[in-house]
Amino acid sequence: MAETVAEPFFKGNTGRNTRGILRLSILILIAAAAIASRLFSVILDPWFNFRATKYLVSNGFYDFWDWFDDRTWHPLGRVTGGTLYPGLMVTSGAIYHALRALTIPVDIRNICVLLAPGFSGLTAFATYLFTNEMSTSPSAGLLAAAFMGIAPGYISRSVAGSYDNEAIAIFLLVFTFYLWIKAVKLGSAMWGALCALFYGYMVSAWGGYVFITNLIPLHVFVLVCMGRFSPRLYVSYCTWYALGTLASMQIPFVGFLPIRSSEHMSALGVFGLLQLVGFVEFVRAGVPSKQFGTLLRGFVLLVFGISFGGLVLLTVSGVIAPWTGRFYSLWDTGYAKIHIPIIASVSEHQPTAWPAYFFDLNLLIWLFPAGVYLCFQKLADEQVFVVVYSILASYFSGVMVRLMLTLTPIVCVAAALAVSSLLDTYLSLESPEDPADSATEAGSNGTPAPSKKAAKLDGLRSMRQPLVGIYSTFSKMSVVSALTAYLLIFVLHCTWVTSNAYSSPSVVLASRLPDGSQHIIDDYREAYQWLRQNTAEDAKIMSWWDYGYQIGGMADRPTLVDNNTWNNTHIATVGKAMSSREEVSYPIMRQHEVDYVLVVFGGLLGYSGDDINKFLWMVRIAEGIWPDEVKERDFFTDRGEYRVDEGATETMKNSLMYKMSYYNYCTLFPPGQCQDRVRGVKLPDVGPTLNTVEEAFTSENWIIRIFKVKDLDNAGRDLASAASFDRGNKKKKTIKKRGPKVLRVE
Amino acid sequence: MHFLKGLILSLLPAAALAAKQPAVDKFNQFHTKALASTPLKLDDSVYPKLTAAPRDYSVIVLLTAMEPRFGCALCREFQPEWDLLSSSWTKGDKKGDSRLVFGTLDFVDGKNTFQSLGLQTAPVLLLFQPTVGPHAVADNGPIRYDFTSGPQSAEQVHSWITRYLPDRPHPQVNRPINWVRGIAITTTILGTITFLSVAWPYMVPVIQNRNVWAAISLIAILLFTTGHMFNHIRKVPYVTGDGKGGVSYFAGGFSNQNGLETQILAAISPTLILFFPIMDPINQIVPQCRSSGAEFKINRITTYDTFADLFSDGLLSFATISLALKVPRITDSKTQQVAVIVWSGVIFVMYSFLLSVFRMKNGGYPFWLPPFF
Repeated sequence: MAETVAEPFFKGNTGRNTRGILRLSILILIAAAAIASRLFSVILDPWFNFRATKYLVSNGFYDFWDWFDDRTWHPLGRVTGGTLYPGLMVTSGAIYHALRALTIPVDIRNICVLLAPGFSGLTAFATYLFTNEMSTSPSAGLLAAAFMGIAPGYISRSVAGSYDNEAIAIFLLVFTFYLWIKAVKLGSAMWGALCALFYGYMVSAWGGYVFITNLIPLHVFVLVCMGRFSPRLYVSYCTWYALGTLASMQIPFVGFLPIRSSEHMSALGVFGLLQLVGFVEFVRAGVPSKQFGTLLRGFVLLVFGISFGGLVLLTVSGVIAPWTGRFYSLWDTGYAKIHIPIIASVSEHQPTAWPAYFFDLNLLIWLFPAGVYLCFQKLADEQVFVVVYSILASYFSGVMVRLMLTLTPIVCVAAALAVSSLLDTYLSLESPEDPADSATEAGSNGTPAPSKKAAKLDGLRSMRQPLVGIYSTFSKMSVVSALTAYLLIFVLHCTWVTSNAYSSPSVVLASRLPDGSQHIIDDYREAYQWLRQNTAEDAKIMSWWDYGYQIGGMADRPTLVDNNTWNNTHIATVGKAMSSREEVSYPIMRQHEVDYVLVVFGGLLGYSGDDINKFLWMVRIAEGIWPDEVKERDFFTDRGEYRVDEGATETMKNSLMYKMSYYNYCTLFPPGQCQDRVRGVKLPDVGPTLNTVEEAFTSENWIIRIFKVKDLDNAGRDLASAASFDRGNKKKKTIKKRGPKVLRVE
Repeated sequence: MHFLKGLILSLLPAAALAAKQPAVDKFNQFHTKALASTPLKLDDSVYPKLTAAPRDYSVIVLLTAMEPRFGCALCREFQPEWDLLSSSWTKGDKKGDSRLVFGTLDFVDGKNTFQSLGLQTAPVLLLFQPTVGPHAVADNGPIRYDFTSGPQSAEQVHSWITRYLPDRPHPQVNRPINWVRGIAITTTILGTITFLSVAWPYMVPVIQNRNVWAAISLIAILLFTTGHMFNHIRKVPYVTGDGKGGVSYFAGGFSNQNGLETQILAAISPTLILFFPIMDPINQIVPQCRSSGAEFKINRITTYDTFADLFSDGLLSFATISLALKVPRITDSKTQQVAVIVWSGVIFVMYSFLLSVFRMKNGGYPFWLPPFF
């Protein structure tokens, strides 16, 4: 009975409308879930972007373009307009002004905080559109949108307050791909132009645009190799390439890179190839001869080879910019380790181990290959795109943890294809008739035979048999219920991961007390607040680059290096100051007008992300520039151990970083029990002494320690002897060695 | 006054000559030896003679342990580079203008020297700079070069030496052209071209076969997404000892994994087994240092004694594909029923296994499915 009542809603026009409304409401719910799951805790980070946005909103676009920021990279300063991707700031600025125009009073800070979750809702929608282009099944798009909304791999970069380029870039990535597929399918210049427009937007937003720049040409190249050149392909690619390249060149930071840097060369090469292939096809249409066609194919390959050789030649002769280090490290995985410690030092640039995949994608990671396999069923142009994207993105994500972000969308799409194909098969109410009854019928018809033959020629092995369907309700029930259970586990997993791993910003550390209640460790903010209130407005702070943005944003003080410093020498200078003896460090700090030095020390609390643990990278980076003055070997004991206790090497014990970290530390403990809880070692009772800097501030849990750089001594002594005098040490009576009398000639 | 000055001036060359005379001989003596065969093979008696204090030449000594029983892979890897460097330096500087002598001291010949230097590790390079003469250096001790970042090429050591020996000729490293390799490469290329042109008609169906491409794509994806690149870059060991004589197939810790682990994880879909030999050579446990918000830790191996069965991602994907594509094509209803149950069971058990592996690596993980806890 119920069936008959509901029937009118699922048939004809009404049915279509009902489904449309259902689909819309599901999408809205998915977007809501995507946003809601990103609101576990809110802390704005990185602060530099926020500062830039504030500047943009209060001073206007053109001032922002010309903004010279003298508070970062001291004493060099930063030409901000030319050294960042402005897309993020401009987006929030535009939203801000739009809301103002609608007379909705809103603070720019709120927009910045909620930008990433808001765009994640849009990403879910874009994924829906993209998947719908891949599959005829109505459920695939919705599933993909749901996966995308809650996959931890994407949440990691888009929780509320994570105000980074990736916040909007992933939406742009997926949407650009959607527009590209649409353009290829229709062969329409309009969709191609739209694709180029969003590509331009993407270029202005994130350095990862290079992924699009290489993936689309690769897709086209594969299609051409498969013999699938068509006017559709030609129109869409040429439109995209011409307009997209022009658009990307409008960003000052990118400038002429698209025609000079080798990362963009594949796009240019494929553009040229398409012209040749197009020409050949044109000629072939006029001259219908088989031999002529073969000849032309050879000609195409020859021209391609020559132009590739020319490219190599230009690269070697230096006309085209050399390959950048980060690009190298993607292909030659040993490269970064030897040549660019600064890249190898970043934890985001490490290779990915299996647990990280499972952590970020859970069951999607095994549905993913299944979904890719399903794409081979039909293998139209758009399915080829999915396959190419999958392989390329899996490779890159394996090389660098950070690139998991570009893999996540395609994993969601492929997994959704797999799940929807399962659901479509096992959820259909109609069961086929039992073959025992219809066997004779089918045999006499003889229909399966020809279809079998056709499939054998160009199909997948698993699809040679004709489709029958599922017979028993039990099979359907078991598969569907198990799948539902898995999906529920996935939802729980995502919630757990998000609340546990991705919602504790680096600035605030959460820990559990023995009774299970949460304890917040807020040393960072305490220290930044101290800096803000107790130091001069232009006091320069020296710290390792990890904390540059935070100091600049939260404490509002100029820094020497920050998270975006590319001047390797400048970073190495800080590394050298940290890893050398005080006598060497002091002149460096004076030269750079450093007023305070900030170190992070986790020994008391057992916080492992502290500076002593990062210290080797500082040493290595400094060694890259001054191999004679800083040597990594000196920080290891004879037996090759990295020690901080009694057995630490002299170089280690005398380095500024070591001294600052452990200064006065042992006074906290009764004698003989001084302990470092991160490295798990006992420390000598007599701690280091400091001559050229003095302790200014130490936070509650000793995580942040700030030292003031002493001014030159009033009496003109060197600081070591001045400090020794202050400690009450008697000056050693040195018998002045006058040396042998020097004869003055003339 | 003038008299004093004159006296000193007149005495100086004489003194210098007096100091120099035997040293020059010593250098020439070693240099002629080196011209015959370089680097000089040193032992406990020659080493002190060569490096004795008044010297107007530089010495660079490689302290190494080549015998197989010491198992010093680094020594053996560096040896050809070292021979190349010393021979091309000596050949490029036959007159001995750079006044540099290359020597090699093997542990077998120089136990006492090793002991007196307090060396625990090999190989080590020691550079002794001249104490007298125009390039004399105040600091007498040798400069030590440790191989902290793995085996070095001759060029790298060359640039290290030149840094310490300024204003002297620095003969370039002359890598001999490797004819054998060149011929081998040419032959391979020609052979491949011949093979392709002959076999082309037979290969076209294979190249254009969708199944082949599907298999290749899936294998690539499975390898990449189960951390093959991690093994490749970090050069992790296949299995790690658990300290009790057994082996552990899964490394503890969130950012760790063993080589075999990837195979366990990627494996099982039957095609994959063929591709096992792709995996990487084993070296040692690499101390792993991660900066910026991560921790420094030497790979800590936790014990996990179970012999884990080889299952997982690949099998799960395979089961999903079967359920989605193959099962609905089975015409016999009984067979189909069985297939559904089998494949669903496989997915259930494997997913549970994956969750349990993940729990093992990540202590606080709260989710699990029945068979594995």
